[in-house]
Amino acid sequence: LLLSVVCFAPQNYPLYIRSVPTENELKFHYTVHTSLDVVDEKISAMGKALVDQRELYLGLLYPTEDYKVYGYVTNSRVKFVMVVDSSNTALRDNEIRSMFRKLHNSYTDIMCNPFYNPGDRIHSRAFDSMVNSMMMQVC
Amino acid sequence: MSRQAGRGTENKKMNSELFTLTYGALVTQLCKDYENDEDVNKQLDKMGYNIGVRLIEDFLARSNVGKCHDFRETADVIAKIGFKMYLGITPSITNWSPAGDEFSLILENNPLVDFVELPDNHSSLIYSNLLCGVLRGALEMVQMAVDARFVQDTLKGDSVTEIRMKFIKRIEDNLPAGEE
Repeated sequence: LLLSVVCFAPQNYPLYIRSVPTENELKFHYTVHTSLDVVDEKISAMGKALVDQRELYLGLLYPTEDYKVYGYVTNSRVKFVMVVDSSNTALRDNEIRSMFRKLHNSYTDIMCNPFYNPGDRIHSRAFDSMVNSMMMQVC
Repeated sequence: MSRQAGRGTENKKMNSELFTLTYGALVTQLCKDYENDEDVNKQLDKMGYNIGVRLIEDFLARSNVGKCHDFRETADVIAKIGFKMYLGITPSITNWSPAGDEFSLILENNPLVDFVELPDNHSSLIYSNLLCGVLRGALEMVQMAVDARFVQDTLKGDSVTEIRMKFIKRIEDNLPAGEE
């Protein structure tokens, strides 16, 4: 089950937050934000190698009891984070990767919308429906 | 006969994202400069008109089409040659009025609006209004007064984009005597 999709600006403030409604949404946000530290760590640790391979997918950031958190960072340092239910073992690494790729493509389209100012919160019907379909598909 | 000498008919290619983003930057800048959408629409139309009156010369020089005998022929030339040459698309022509003085250009995909999502506070903005101005300006230069306007727009949730063209009148040549 895909629980949450979040995009962060290069300065690490959220551009887009979307999660399935739960009682403890705060805990969610907490999990996602702490994952940013891992993202930064990963970038600085293997920064050189990442650039060389043009590999944007960071893989599993960290597993908690209930969630698995995956990360993806573009060359412009925009971060995408997805939270997946730990109980779901059917989801393969490759699928996560292609979902991130999809997210990245959608994000690119939004950046190309002349009415969107870079750095603003994302309010886009197209992006919403894309995330929706991803959440439906994975459920 | 050698009218097109010096003016190649080859199609130069341009990156479509750059084109779309350039037009987007133009429209959003206009939105910042003017208070309401109606003024922006008017301004786009005016800019289009100024493009049209110039573009027609280029069009005639490059396409080598002759005089059109009726409005139907004009419609064909606009859709199959004009749009093809400058936007790389071929709109279809439908909905002729019984009198034959009105028709619709249906654009299945409009290269100007790739990526664009109209924000809620610009609901009356006619994003591609430049095109209407271009058509009006260009046809005016060949002695045809027309009215062009958008009646459907994919940006507003319609399935296609439709430009309605209406023939108003022939503009009589005001050539000085002795010149014909």
